[in-house]
Amino acid sequence: MFFHIVLERNMQLHPRHFGPHLRDKLVSKLIKDVEGTCSGRHGFVVAITGVEDVGKGLIREGTGFVTFPVKYQCVVFRPFKGEILEAVVTMVNKMGFFAEAGPVQIFVSNHLIPDDMEFQSGDVPNYTTSDGSVKIQKESEVRLKIIGTRVDATEIFCIGTIKDDFLGVISDPGAAV
Amino acid sequence: MGFPRHMTTRQPRVPLHLSLVRPIRRRWRRLGRRPACDATRHPPRPPYALSGNRNSGSPSSQCAGCCVMALQPSIEPFNRLVRLAARAFYDDVSMKGDNQPKTSRGDNRGMAVVVLDALTRRPWVREEDLAKALKLHSKQLRRILRFFEEEKLVTRDHRKENAKGTKQHNTAAAAASDGQPVTNKEGEEKVKMHTHSYCCLDYAQICDVVRYRIHRMKKKLKDELDSRNTIQHYICPSCNKRYSAFDALQLVSFTDEYFHCEICNGELVAESDKLASEEMGDGDDNARKRRREKLKDMQQRIEEQLKPLVAQLDRVKNLPAPEFGSLQTWERANIGAFPNGDLGAADSSRNSQGQYGTPMPYMGETKVEVEMLGDGVKEEGAESGKNGSELKVLPPWMIKDGMNLTKEQRGETSKASQFGENSEVKDDKKQDSKDDQSIQEEYIKAYYEALKKKHDEASNNKVKTEVDIPVSDSQSERQVGKKYKREDDDEGIEWEEQQHTGNSTETYKLADLNAEAQESGDDEDDNEWEDG
Repeated sequence: MFFHIVLERNMQLHPRHFGPHLRDKLVSKLIKDVEGTCSGRHGFVVAITGVEDVGKGLIREGTGFVTFPVKYQCVVFRPFKGEILEAVVTMVNKMGFFAEAGPVQIFVSNHLIPDDMEFQSGDVPNYTTSDGSVKIQKESEVRLKIIGTRVDATEIFCIGTIKDDFLGVISDPGAAV
Repeated sequence: MGFPRHMTTRQPRVPLHLSLVRPIRRRWRRLGRRPACDATRHPPRPPYALSGNRNSGSPSSQCAGCCVMALQPSIEPFNRLVRLAARAFYDDVSMKGDNQPKTSRGDNRGMAVVVLDALTRRPWVREEDLAKALKLHSKQLRRILRFFEEEKLVTRDHRKENAKGTKQHNTAAAAASDGQPVTNKEGEEKVKMHTHSYCCLDYAQICDVVRYRIHRMKKKLKDELDSRNTIQHYICPSCNKRYSAFDALQLVSFTDEYFHCEICNGELVAESDKLASEEMGDGDDNARKRRREKLKDMQQRIEEQLKPLVAQLDRVKNLPAPEFGSLQTWERANIGAFPNGDLGAADSSRNSQGQYGTPMPYMGETKVEVEMLGDGVKEEGAESGKNGSELKVLPPWMIKDGMNLTKEQRGETSKASQFGENSEVKDDKKQDSKDDQSIQEEYIKAYYEALKKKHDEASNNKVKTEVDIPVSDSQSERQVGKKYKREDDDEGIEWEEQQHTGNSTETYKLADLNAEAQESGDDEDDNEWEDG
């Protein structure tokens, strides 16, 4: 789910950037460093919306670098167990399929796929119902429920299921005309 | 209002005679054996003091403490719980390892239940004793107990101790079950330390463990049925490494459609749920339906078969679990609960175990109780384990300075009150006091008294009067350093009488006394030595 939170970070700035546009340089450096990263605690930082406060810079001994504590607001994305997401299928395997919901990867194993869907290999591997009405293949959109998350220091990975009510394929790839 | 409380309760009044009978029988049934103390020891319960549920309320209200078991909260519902759980879950625990299938000869399935039942009747029992009682090999018993220890049903304690400690434990165990003192059998003292293992049921943990187990069983079935929210696990068949679905990303291989092991690159197999995966019959629908039915059926069977156990759990839920404490606290508590006073020995010689290094209360192997007033009480004789007979008169050569001896040992009658006082005084003194002179004088006085008495008394007291000869002569003799031989009684007496008239010199008397004292030394065997 998405959150808008305030985070803090210590930014180091090389003296060559000191000048009238010090603050701008600092903010751009921050954006470059933080956006797109993931912390286990807050989730994926999607975008920085603004800088709240830049503290006094501290000159480090030995080098000329200066450390600024920066407080900034950002949008983060963190998946939780029990959450329902829409995701896009990226890979279909005999053991299940992989889907992506933004920056997070979700794996749905085959025993959490409804029993009436069978794997069919081929050049386009997919899962299909016996009557062929529902098909899960690459680039399908799928609604799934997260049943477990694994949070590393810099990585979040999820397991999902489509075996519940109202879960499953939303739209076929290329079906939308 | 002033009404006594019992008048306001709604419970019906019970006729008096029933109240006498019912509590005892109830406790009888609950404990499953003879009550440790009978009704005569404590007053009957008043008719209005009814306890509605026979499982609630501890018997301690009835018995103020003369019965050790009564100090525990009621143990019977817990014992029943243990027995039910044993039969529900452990009745197919085989005792042999899995590598020796000897079913043709009859394996011992279900011995685990027997062991658990035996443990419900014995707190803190030694494993060897249990093996003997159940006629099991101690190795098998130990395997079972280790299994139960892992299941958290049983606590074990391993203790290095020598034979003394084991005897202590025996007395403690006997106290717990009988409430009577136990005669300590004297064995030879071993200095070697063997590791003894003790085990006891841990009731509080048993309740929790059983509840958790049932909860997990039901949850597993439910998950299977719902087939949701279960994370898949994968196993590599070659190196047996387990992966979870979370690792799937690292495991996916582009060459194949399967997951491969990180180490050996073998194909991973999904670890399917064992409950439901039996048949993959004809069509998917059928298999699935059959699986569901099977699971539902299993669920029903579980409910039904576990019903008594669950009911017992409910009953027990609100009761405090009986606590036996650690091995040492239990032993101490039970040793202290001897109805007769063995406490004296236990307290006084508490520190004599120093050399063995274990802080156990001393159980009085060597008894050195001294009877002041010399009624011929033989009580401690049994405990010392050497005899049951009367205290013997010590031969003079056995008597050392400063020994606290009973009058009988010194060979004096109880009627020698003066001597009695003297001996009392002496006994009161520390054993280090060596006032030989005064002792000698006392002995001399007593001797003359005794001689006088002898004239008065008939031959019945002959032995006694002979015995009367103060044994102090041994002390004086020691001073003199003479040796002498034994003589017959008659001879001795005669001699004594002859000598009696004449002399007052000490040395001369000493000769008499020597002769006299010898004969009487044989009569009694009991040498009670005190550590001087």
